Parts: sequence; structure tokens; C-alpha cells
Amino acid sequence: MSERAEEEVIVVIDDDYAMRLSCKKILSKMGFQVETFEDGARGLEGVAKLKPALLVVDLKMPGISGMEVIARVHEIDPEIIIVVITGYGTIDTAVGAMKCGAYDFLPKPFSPDELRVIVNRGLERRRLALESRRGEVERALLKRRFITFVSHQLQTPLVAIHQYLNVLKHLDNTPEAAAKRQEWFDRCLERTEEMQALIKDWLTLATVGGGSFSRQQVKVDLKEIIAEILNTCEEMAAANCVSLAAQMPENNYFVRGDRTCLSVLFENLIANAIKYNKPGGKVTISAEVLDGEIAVSVIDTGVGIPEKYRQFLFEEFFRIEGEGKKTAGTGLGLSICKRIVSEMGGSISVESQVNVGSTFRVRLLAYRAPAGEEDNNRSSK
Amino acid sequence: MTSGARKILIVDDDHDFVEAVSAFLEAHDCVVLKACDGREGLKLAKMERPDLIIMDIIMNERTEGFFTVQEIRRTAELKTVPIFILSSLYSRLTDFGIPPDSGWLAHDAFFSKPVDMPELLEKIRQRIGGHDRTTGTPSGRKAEP
Repeated sequence: MSERAEEEVIVVIDDDYAMRLSCKKILSKMGFQVETFEDGARGLEGVAKLKPALLVVDLKMPGISGMEVIARVHEIDPEIIIVVITGYGTIDTAVGAMKCGAYDFLPKPFSPDELRVIVNRGLERRRLALESRRGEVERALLKRRFITFVSHQLQTPLVAIHQYLNVLKHLDNTPEAAAKRQEWFDRCLERTEEMQALIKDWLTLATVGGGSFSRQQVKVDLKEIIAEILNTCEEMAAANCVSLAAQMPENNYFVRGDRTCLSVLFENLIANAIKYNKPGGKVTISAEVLDGEIAVSVIDTGVGIPEKYRQFLFEEFFRIEGEGKKTAGTGLGLSICKRIVSEMGGSISVESQVNVGSTFRVRLLAYRAPAGEEDNNRSSK
Repeated sequence: MTSGARKILIVDDDHDFVEAVSAFLEAHDCVVLKACDGREGLKLAKMERPDLIIMDIIMNERTEGFFTVQEIRRTAELKTVPIFILSSLYSRLTDFGIPPDSGWLAHDAFFSKPVDMPELLEKIRQRIGGHDRTTGTPSGRKAEP
């Protein structure tokens, strides 16, 4: 049940005084502001002025008919819920009214409970409709802004390269340019690499989000994947004076999923743990088999993440710009991790202490052999 | 306006972009001050009173440039300093619910990144004057005819 909006207004249009009175009594007791009108013309004026959430209208009235009221009310505001009262209760009339846009009908005579139920149902539907409309608008805006930021991020290295080239072109043969030329070429190459990394990560993110990977469901041995990653990261770790260690004593760290995605996941986490470490620091990967789950922790002894940033950590392009040294990266790594983990129905969390280190913990469902399939307890490759 | 060196403040978080633009401006008789975010930019602007400010929009905070421009305009001694926005974002301002011509962004000119340096220099000169010395190269050419 969604929350009721403050002060919902209900308008009742009926030429029958007793009916107006009893409707007003019942609905007022429910906590609504109720206004009643005795004919269609006045009722429509009231609707235009009051912008009610719901309208109760008698179909058979002198002057403007109930049917016409329905059409005109929805010209004023299509979100107004209309309940019609049908005195000469043929189903046909009621169906006709609903075709015109009425939400439901109440054949006379009706009990207070019937009115209450129908009003509550109608208003609930309106709240849900309004909520989802708001959600749609928000999502569309977010998406548009997101595209803006993505294109900005992709453009940034290109802009820098272009700017160097433009200046080189116009400063050619000046001593200023001669002194800088080599350095600027090197910077251009570095920015080109940045651009390539961005495009690669961006594609990974798009692929993972596209759901195409959820089709690849094989038994994967995390111990094996992590050993491979540690192998390839050896060089990077040495360059950063960081040591790597795995603590995976068991032999059953199996999950079901896509091998490549799982590699990307742990590659990103381990590379981060190296990059944001300190010289002489350590990266430890430890795994546990819990109840139906495998938990893998990537523990570093690095710079840590201030508390205020943790909630944004998994957002696209979020980066913490520290004072001092700048760490290369696209700002997409952790959002890729998050997406992979959630596509697999798992979770990822972080604990961190500034200047002590961070632990990223991934929990994935342990592999279970599908019914009828013999589990020989060996990883498929 | 002095006819001596023009003092220009660049506020931009892309080190390479700043490096390239300032090298060109310095080669054309400008003194260039550099700030890598809005806060530092504002501080430098108050301290150094530049003749013109070149401002990026998306820096560490996503719309930092917008607010820095507003802040500069609220500062009495900086109210009249011309601000040139240099951004790759401008054409998409509507995505932020900001019509580009609403006057909300109190800048003097906008340039889309990357920018053609002779063109930028010409616009700077038109705005704040100052004369361009010859660059003293063997060919003796100036950046602008």
C-alpha cells in the first residue's frame, strides 16, 4: 500500500440531495475533503477549481449528462479517478461510462462499505499511476544526464590530445614548443591509452548490463580463476612494491556463472587493491564457504576510503581525487563489479579504514548441480 | 586596462588541457594562473585579480564550474571580470534543465572544447585589449594577423 497523499479532495456531483449528503458523510469520515455539486455545469467548475483526486458522479442528471461530465473532467485532468453512480442500473450504461474513461461504477442502491471500497481502490490506483509516472520522468532524466557524463568522460582525453596538437601546430618552430614537444607527445600517448581503457570498460559495463552474460552459466572454480589473476597481476604488484597472497584452503569454491565476467570481477578488485595500496603493502584474497554461499574477500593495506565516499563507490565514474598522487583509472571498475555481482544474484560490500586498508567482500551463491545432473565435483573449463 | 601582460586565470581539472592552453597563451604575452578546481580558482581570482577567467564546467564535482561562476559574480571585486567558459558540455546544458540562453550562467563567451587557440586569443584580445608582441621566432610571425 503506498502512502496516502496529504489532503486528497473528492468531488461528488449528484442532483439527489440525499445522495450528496450521504456520500459526503461517508467520505468525510474517511478523512477526505469532500465538495458536492448538484449539477454537471457547477460540478465541472468545481472540478476545474479543486483539482480533486477522485470524482463521484451520477450518470443521470438534468442538464449536462454524466457521460459528458466524464469526458470533460478528463480534459481537465486525465489522472482524476471517476466513479459513476448508475441509478437505472443496466450494465450497458455502466460499461459505456467505463469506456468513456470512468474507473468503476456503483449501482444504486449501494452500501457505505461499497462506496468506501471502491474509493480506496480508485485512489490507490491513482497513487500508483502518479508514482510510476514520477519514476519514469526521473529515470529518463537520469539516463539523459548519464549519457551526457559518459560522452564527457569519453571526450576528455580526446580534448586534451587535440589541444596539444592544436598548440603544437600554431607554436611550431618556437622555442616554447621545441622544449615541450617530446613531453607533449608522451602525454598524448598516455591520454590515448586512457581513452582505450575507458572504451574497453564501457563496453564491458554495457555487455554485463545487457543480460547477455546471464545465459552463460557454467560451473566455475574461483580458486583457479583467482590463481590465474594473481599470476597476471604479479608484475603490477612488483612495480607497486605490493605482495600478493591467497588464503583459499578448501577445494570447493565453485559458483555458477560466466567465467569471463567472474575474471573481470576479481581482476578489477585485485587491481584496485594493488593500485590503492602503499609501497610495502599487502593484498590478501581469502575465501570461505558459508551456508550455500561463497564469500571472497579482497583485503588491502592501502589508503582506505573515507566513510563519506563509500555510498558512491559503486557509481559509474565516481572517483576519489586524493591530494597528492593521482591514480590512473576509468571510474568504471567498481560499477562493473557491482553489476556482475548483482546479475549473479550476489552482493558486494566494503569495509574500510583510512590509512589502514579496505576489504571488498563478494558473496556469490555456491554452485549446486541442477536436478538430474551428476555433480562430479570438478570444475568445467 | 593595462597594456602590459594580460593576466589570465585558467580553472580546469585536466592538467594536460591547462598545460597546452597556457603554453600558447604564455607564448603570446599572457601571464597564466592555474587552478585545478573551483575553490582554488576562486581563491586565486580574489588574490590575483586576473583580467580574464577561463572556466571549465565539469571538474571534480560534476557541475562545479556553474557554481564557481555564480560565486565569482557574487564577489564584489570580481563582478566585472570577463569569464570565458571552455567546456565540451555546453551544447548539452538542457540535460541539466538549464536553457543555454537563460542567463543563468553569467559568463561572457563560450567555447567548445577543444578550442582553436588563435581564435581564443583573438577573443581574449577583443575582450580585454592588450597588444600582442611578436613572438620573436625566426619567421617573426604573430599568432594573429
